[in-house]
Amino acid sequence: MFDTALTTADLIFLAKGAGMTILVTAISVAIGTALGIAFGVIRVQFGAALTAPLTFVLDIFRSVPLLIQLVLANAFLGMVLKLQLSGFFVACMVLSLYTSAYCAEIVRGGIDAVPATTRRAARSLGVSWGQDMRYIVLPLATRVALPSWIGLALGVMKDSALVYVVQVTELLKSTQILITRLQEPLFLLMIGGAFYFLISFPLARFGGYLEKRWSND
Amino acid sequence: MKKTIMATALIAATGFAGAAQADKLDDIIASGTLRCAVVLDFPPMGMRDANNEPVGFDVDYCNDLAAALGVTAEIVETPFPERIPALMSGRVDVGVASTSDTLERAKTVGFTIPYFAFEMAVTANDGAGIASYEGMKGHTVGAVAGTYEAIALEKQVQEWGEGEFRPYQTQADVFLALSQGQLDATVSTSTVAMANVKTGNFPGISVVGKAPFDTDYVALFTSRNEYGLINYLNLFVNQQIRTGRYAELYEKWVGGDLPDLTVPNAYR
Amino acid sequence: MFGYTFQWNQALARLPKMLDGAVVTMEVAVLSMLIGIAFAILLTLLRLSGSRPLRAIATGWVEIARNTPALFQIYMAHFGVASFGIHFSPFISLLIGITFNNAGYLAENFRGALKAIPDTQTRAGRSLGMSQLQAFRYIILPQMLRISFLPMTNQMVWAVLMTSLGVTVGMNSDLYGVTQDLNALTFRTFELFAIAGVIFYIITKAITLSARLIAARLFRY
Repeated sequence: MFDTALTTADLIFLAKGAGMTILVTAISVAIGTALGIAFGVIRVQFGAALTAPLTFVLDIFRSVPLLIQLVLANAFLGMVLKLQLSGFFVACMVLSLYTSAYCAEIVRGGIDAVPATTRRAARSLGVSWGQDMRYIVLPLATRVALPSWIGLALGVMKDSALVYVVQVTELLKSTQILITRLQEPLFLLMIGGAFYFLISFPLARFGGYLEKRWSND
Repeated sequence: MKKTIMATALIAATGFAGAAQADKLDDIIASGTLRCAVVLDFPPMGMRDANNEPVGFDVDYCNDLAAALGVTAEIVETPFPERIPALMSGRVDVGVASTSDTLERAKTVGFTIPYFAFEMAVTANDGAGIASYEGMKGHTVGAVAGTYEAIALEKQVQEWGEGEFRPYQTQADVFLALSQGQLDATVSTSTVAMANVKTGNFPGISVVGKAPFDTDYVALFTSRNEYGLINYLNLFVNQQIRTGRYAELYEKWVGGDLPDLTVPNAYR
Repeated sequence: MFGYTFQWNQALARLPKMLDGAVVTMEVAVLSMLIGIAFAILLTLLRLSGSRPLRAIATGWVEIARNTPALFQIYMAHFGVASFGIHFSPFISLLIGITFNNAGYLAENFRGALKAIPDTQTRAGRSLGMSQLQAFRYIILPQMLRISFLPMTNQMVWAVLMTSLGVTVGMNSDLYGVTQDLNALTFRTFELFAIAGVIFYIITKAITLSARLIAARLFRY
């Protein structure tokens, strides 16, 4: 279909970029989810009024473009605080917080979806708060939250394309570097796009399947 | 066990005490690595070879500087708009990134004496029928966001009052847009224009003339308050010229008449 | 306190330019939303249609929009399509990219909303003498838009945030583009982008608040 100057070395170069995309995503989603669960539980447990400051801060991550968050974090940590941090670290940090902000919402929604009566029934049977969370809330909330969480994780992978701005060479940046040398924009862009699609599409389908399966029983 | 801890603590303490006094020049020598911001889509100053490794005038210049300092060079690729942020955030030590030494920028970073000078050239898409700088009037033109020529060209388009100016993020995007016909013409440094046209990657574009902008002197930069390092860099640039290395690198990457890096009737 | 001297007045002096940029950002976001909703309705209809190729096209659109980065979609709308000799200005490219993305996500939301509307309603409409299209237009569509109102608000916020990607296709009149241009002139990175961040925050809050007001007015039961 295309007559291309793409070499094996270039494909390895692209694969490295793809590896970076997956690495940044995996780290950010892992940390972001842990933080998000903590923030979500805190918000439900302590009520809206007490956790207003937390809500406000998390809301910022959802209201300002990720590109600006990255530029600002980079400038603040490096220029103002004079910390010597790698771009990779800054990228993972910002993306983790970004993930946690969305994840907290999902967790909150999940917990809220568990009927209060069910939980009260459990507590009146002498179940402790921890046991209630572990055996009542967790299984029920997961059913509501997991499909959204899969969507979030995939969203973070797609958004990780922006970390080029802190000098992290991920997949889309690798693609652009090759476009610079080979001048085959359409072909290279299609390779890059196909990669994201191949990871995202099956998982998104799986999330949809879970949602359907779990909502009907 | 206890002794080791004591010893470690002692070493750490002296290390901290040293760090408190050391300036960036010391830090670079101590760390053994010189991190240079280089723009790698700016041939022949910075580009990538067939193995996607950085090469070019600026890359060699950084390597020379590292050799002089007795450390290893690390090339950090920075797009044009990210050069100064990369320095300010401590991601790089020195910018060897063909950066114009404007007064506005000198409020934020410290520049050395010029290490290179560019003439500006107009490159046009053959289909646009542009034969000179003035010929760009009324056309869609572009340049790399944040560069000297972009700032000058945008001002020119506003003065002309017709046509359109578009800044792209990278030099590659500009030439890509130019060869795709999205741009009718661009102003870039003549070295870059020649190098890009010569690659044959961009069919249907040619250099059509000079742009009447002032000579674009570019300098190395580092943090504004690192006088020790700036002092060293100034001497390094001077030595590069004195020893003929500047001429050698120019011949290797660019070729032709060596640009004069001094301004007549001025001290610096 | 910090090893950095803030020069806020340098950045604040440029505030009017940035506000002009915010207006352009809003223009792109609103247009992309309006056109995006129209396309999303069309995609929803196509996905309901009996024609296999039409369903495939609609599904393809939705899945590509949802499974590739927005940055990729916008870059494609400028440099990708130009390989076919089709040229769009940065503004149009950005608008197309975001609209494509909006339409894909909204179509998926609409599909979810449709599930909540019983089939019997369409049949009831049909038995009252409405055509299939009339039943959709007068019975299904209003309910679908109402159910999807919250996701639509979220998508509007996304559209605003996505305008920041316009710089990659040569856009410099939107808020992010203006900020980046000013940064190239002055290098006051932190101050300029902090102000831009605050403006973005205010815009997105204004959107969610007004959406809540609109919802309260429109959807009283």
